[in-house]
Amino acid sequence: MDPETMKLLAAGIAMGLGAIGPGIGVGILGRGAMEALGRNPEARGAIMTNMILVIAFCEAIAIYALIVAIILLFVI
Amino acid sequence: MPKFGRRSKIIIISLVCILLLAMGGILFPVDEPEVSLPAEEVFSIGGFEITNTMLAAWLSILVLGGVCYAATRKMKLVPRGLQNVVEAAVEALLNFVEGAAGKEYGRKFFPLVATIFLFVIANAWLGLIPGFMSIGFWQTGEEDKFIEPLFRGANTDINVPLALALVSFVFVEYWGIRSQGFFRYMKKFINVRPLFHSLGQVFRGKIRSGLGGMVTGIIGAFAGFIEMLSELIRVVSFTFRLFGNMTAGELLLLVMIFLIPWVAAIPFYGLELFLGFVQALIFGGLTLVFLMIAVTPVEEH
Repeated sequence: MDPETMKLLAAGIAMGLGAIGPGIGVGILGRGAMEALGRNPEARGAIMTNMILVIAFCEAIAIYALIVAIILLFVI
Repeated sequence: MPKFGRRSKIIIISLVCILLLAMGGILFPVDEPEVSLPAEEVFSIGGFEITNTMLAAWLSILVLGGVCYAATRKMKLVPRGLQNVVEAAVEALLNFVEGAAGKEYGRKFFPLVATIFLFVIANAWLGLIPGFMSIGFWQTGEEDKFIEPLFRGANTDINVPLALALVSFVFVEYWGIRSQGFFRYMKKFINVRPLFHSLGQVFRGKIRSGLGGMVTGIIGAFAGFIEMLSELIRVVSFTFRLFGNMTAGELLLLVMIFLIPWVAAIPFYGLELFLGFVQALIFGGLTLVFLMIAVTPVEEH
């Protein structure tokens, strides 16, 4: 296989596999937040703020994978 | 034929317009977008390159300063117009910061967090104005001509998120040291006192408790070292989070406009607006959270 094909394949695999973890993580986060919200609807402000913050942490991992894919496609 | 109400007329006309735009876009194709991750240089002053993202960052500084200046020119007690909007934004930010950090620390952290938020959101939203990637200079590439843009969204250059992350890191350490004293703050990272205490116990003859304490002390020192590493990794994580989101958004818009010009980008513009706001909130909010962690004293057992 020539390098061009490998680059395209690698970019796809990088992003695809790299999105599995954060996807599951954000789902688990959402479930925790929904359960907490259901038990205590008055704490909505605190729950939502903290949920958004932690989702950002989780999302950053997927963004790292995206950066690797973009670098593979456009820079190397 | 049933009478068409005003609302369904608006829907039908807008659908027909969208269809015409889509057909026009497909019949007259757009050039494939030329993507370059590093920012392109526009001109240089004595060897220092001014890139198009730098121009966009200066523009967003001018816009922010101009809006604030125009809003505070003739200030009234009951605000109207632009002053009202700016006051609402400042109050929303202040509520957010004080709600998370408490009243006393909220006031101290507010300038840094609000500046980071406003700068990131100005960069992100100004990058969506039509003309930002399309007005530029013609360049000849390998086969065909392409446009090197004059302005480019400032968050898509990795230096801007890196600078903001470094500023945030420096301020977190500064506030931590200032609120707790240098040695108490550093004890969080260089946690060797329990280890030496246990070594002293071993030499004094209490072997069993000394050895157990030594193991705990080594683990504690290692944990402190990992804490220090995680503070440094935070800079990288902030940088890549903002840079990745903004670059991916810009690429997405370019590709969508290339696929179906005029029309396919409409929902993604909405997504980009929302993402710009969320990323600004996350950058400011995470800075606030780390500031709060840095100033709360570690309890001694």
